[in-house]
Amino acid sequence: MTKNDLIIRVGGEGGEGVISSGDFIAAACARAGLEVYTFKTFPAEIKGGYAMYQVRTSPDHIYNQGDTFDVFCAFNGEAYEMNKHLLRPGTAFVYDYPGGDFEPDAIPAGVHAYPIPMTAAAKELKSARSKNMVALGALSVLFNISEETLSEVLSKKFGKKGQEVLDANLAAFAKGKSLAQGIKKTDTWRVADPKPPKDVIVISGNDAVGMGSLIGKLDFFSAYPITPATEIAKYVATHIPKFGGTLVQAEDEIASISQVLGASYAGKRSMTATSGPGLALMSEMLGMSAMSEVPVMVVDVQRGGPSTGLPTKHEQSDLFLAIHGGHGDAPRIVLSVENVKDCVDMAVDALNLAEQYQCPVLLMSDGSLAFSTQTIPAPDPSSYKIVHRKRWDGQGEYKRYVMTDDLISPMADPGTPGGMHVATGLEHGETGAPKYTAENHELQARKRFGKIKTVVDQYAPVEVDGSGAADIGIITWGSTIGVVREAVMRLREEGIKVKGFYPKLMWPMPVAQYEAFAATCKKILVPEVNFQGQLSHFIRAETSIKPIPYAICGGLPFTPAQIVQKVKEVI
Amino acid sequence: MSTAALNKVQMPFKDYKSEVPVVWCPGCGHHGILNGLYRALADAGVDPTCLVNVSGIGCSSRTPYFVKSYKMHTLHGRAGAVATGVQLARPDLAVVVTGGDGDGFSIGGGHMPHMARKNVNLTYILYDNGIYGLTKGQYSPTSRPELKAYTTPYGGPDEPMNPCLYMLTYGATFVAQAFAGKPKICADLIKQALEHKGFSYVNIFSQCPSFNKIDTIEFYRDLVEEIPAGHDVTDIGAAMALARRPNGKAPMGLLYKEEGKPTLDEKMAGLVQKLGGHPDYDMKKVINLFRP
Ligand SMILES: Cc1ncc(C[n+]2csc(CCOP(=O)(O)OP(=O)(O)O)c2C)c(N)n1
Ligand SMILES: [Mg+2]
Repeated sequence: MTKNDLIIRVGGEGGEGVISSGDFIAAACARAGLEVYTFKTFPAEIKGGYAMYQVRTSPDHIYNQGDTFDVFCAFNGEAYEMNKHLLRPGTAFVYDYPGGDFEPDAIPAGVHAYPIPMTAAAKELKSARSKNMVALGALSVLFNISEETLSEVLSKKFGKKGQEVLDANLAAFAKGKSLAQGIKKTDTWRVADPKPPKDVIVISGNDAVGMGSLIGKLDFFSAYPITPATEIAKYVATHIPKFGGTLVQAEDEIASISQVLGASYAGKRSMTATSGPGLALMSEMLGMSAMSEVPVMVVDVQRGGPSTGLPTKHEQSDLFLAIHGGHGDAPRIVLSVENVKDCVDMAVDALNLAEQYQCPVLLMSDGSLAFSTQTIPAPDPSSYKIVHRKRWDGQGEYKRYVMTDDLISPMADPGTPGGMHVATGLEHGETGAPKYTAENHELQARKRFGKIKTVVDQYAPVEVDGSGAADIGIITWGSTIGVVREAVMRLREEGIKVKGFYPKLMWPMPVAQYEAFAATCKKILVPEVNFQGQLSHFIRAETSIKPIPYAICGGLPFTPAQIVQKVKEVI
Repeated sequence: MSTAALNKVQMPFKDYKSEVPVVWCPGCGHHGILNGLYRALADAGVDPTCLVNVSGIGCSSRTPYFVKSYKMHTLHGRAGAVATGVQLARPDLAVVVTGGDGDGFSIGGGHMPHMARKNVNLTYILYDNGIYGLTKGQYSPTSRPELKAYTTPYGGPDEPMNPCLYMLTYGATFVAQAFAGKPKICADLIKQALEHKGFSYVNIFSQCPSFNKIDTIEFYRDLVEEIPAGHDVTDIGAAMALARRPNGKAPMGLLYKEEGKPTLDEKMAGLVQKLGGHPDYDMKKVINLFRP
């Protein structure tokens, strides 16, 4: 955390321009060579309800959404009510007043309050919808958001909609600036000064998964809409036809994974994307993929569950389902992303691993990453390795499930002379013909599980944060990793001996690496956002480690401060 | 499905038989349908190497094992959806689904309307025996209420559905009905279905002597009636009227055929063409859209 590490939160009613103002701030900062990490919450309802957009920006790398805001901008009374308990000494508070729909209670001592008549100014300009632009103008002046890059971003966005729209918005923006110029600034928060621009893109987790899949040479995508995963389908739908690929919106998730399996059998790199409820529906077909050894790639953007649960909220509660969901002994590879950069890189990995191991591969993301936009290095598509499935060379007699040294059998695309075979969900022998003997079932189960074992060595070793002995080690997964990284830095600054262990391959578990890590730590803490402590459960089951679970499930990600506090409690 | 664009081969129908012995009960109607399928494949000149026969689970769903082809024996009810994926991925292949009334209309019922309305270019052959054969005789969506079956010892509470009417309603561009006791008619209709461009559906009554004791071969023989020569197969109203069995008789023959409707894969290829899509499109162009 540096002085210039600043968190601005904008809150208001959904549809009031909260999201777009946040987007503008993020884009302007990124254009000014700064890092951004955004975080949003929005209502499950279509119209209205409280929406929040938070931009964290810094000249240095950002690992997570942060603890809470430094600057809060309230568009309406509801947003104020939701956030007023977080106004603490030192924070800045910008709000719509007078003329807005609320009057704040007495401002707590030490809070820097800046009333800006956003609604009134917009009305005066006869463009009621540009209230957010008034706010943006004021924020830019008050907190040193680069005026140059901000106007570039606005012109880029509104320029497309014609001069009139652009002018109206710029007028409101200018009005906001002049209103703020008339105010005396009493706080010290400011966005860092612009730096030379870097070769970056600003992208959300969901778009990044889509981008990664196209870099990974995806041919076929089928999905059924579900929050918070649908943007992946939108991204792929927009771009895959440019590459000659196919996207289907299927009638349900069972159909989408079935189509994916069919397309994959036909030789194409295929995937689907869903959230927990959809993944639950897919579990029978995941077993088919495991049994028939047909590659499928499934993205699970987790949300609050069970059942319909908390559709727009953050949770990491699908680990049980991802690893063991489904009947019978059905092996699979499960990956989990930490951040938006991982969404790109690991979507490529997931497609590659499915092709390589001919099994289901799940890529887990979560509700906060889905919509979090982050600055990441612009990917260089040529730097990614594309792995293709082992294909039959046409020599000799073809047996689809022939035993090989690495237990992976060559596939034959339909249309290959001599390669006719069955992909079957029945237990089978080498040719694919049904075979139910005890010996064969054990042999085949050993093949299906055995062939994926090497992924533990092949897939990059788990990152260990820190070295030597520690009083406490933190093992965590998914986007919680980014939170723990920062907590670890803060704890070290306080002289606490702490290490981190950040797995991205969730299954099969790199057990030896877990054990080696735990051997260097007196205690192991496992923070995760679910009620049961799902990763803790797997650690207990698969290793000799006795972790201390730290499970929360309030619909929000952890903050670094929470982790710091917990470590101090348990150490 | 349209076989027009495919590799044509000339093979005697017996050569479409695989080495796997057929396992159905003696007297089962499925044998007749399978023979009709062999003949249709031969008559249409389908290259087995470019044929993908997809099925779900059921006695009828064992068909792919008996047909020389690429094949997928998938999950109960999912054959149509899996086949849709195969077809869209590889429009150059011939895709045929074979399955039962339970597979297609009970557990897989959610997929049927969508294959029809999207005009997925494949052929769906439904072996309609009014029973769940493989699970030893429970009533199915096409069972008559009189049927006393495993789980309906006093007869069933449900009205049977009408598969042809259903598929017509959802926009199938080819709907035909036959009876396993008439393998030649089966062969002829399946061949036409194979040659039709678009989603083709063939409903074939098939007696199950083991578990459906009322829909016997005699019953079906009496039930079906060849569609009169004057029937206009392009007239959806006339097709639906016939499908409703106005005189209690089930129509046998081609009920409906709509030509020229674009198939789902054609529409998708059209989109790719419109956007000038190709595998070497520059990914950097897409990445650059996200520069701040
Ligand atoms: C998910 C699931 N539920 C139930 C079954 C059991 N099952 C297998 S086949 C079948 C019914 C088969 O009937 P039908 O599709 O009419 O085919 P038939 O055997 O009559 O040819 C059932 C219920 C299953 N395999 N999978
Ligand atoms: Mg049946």
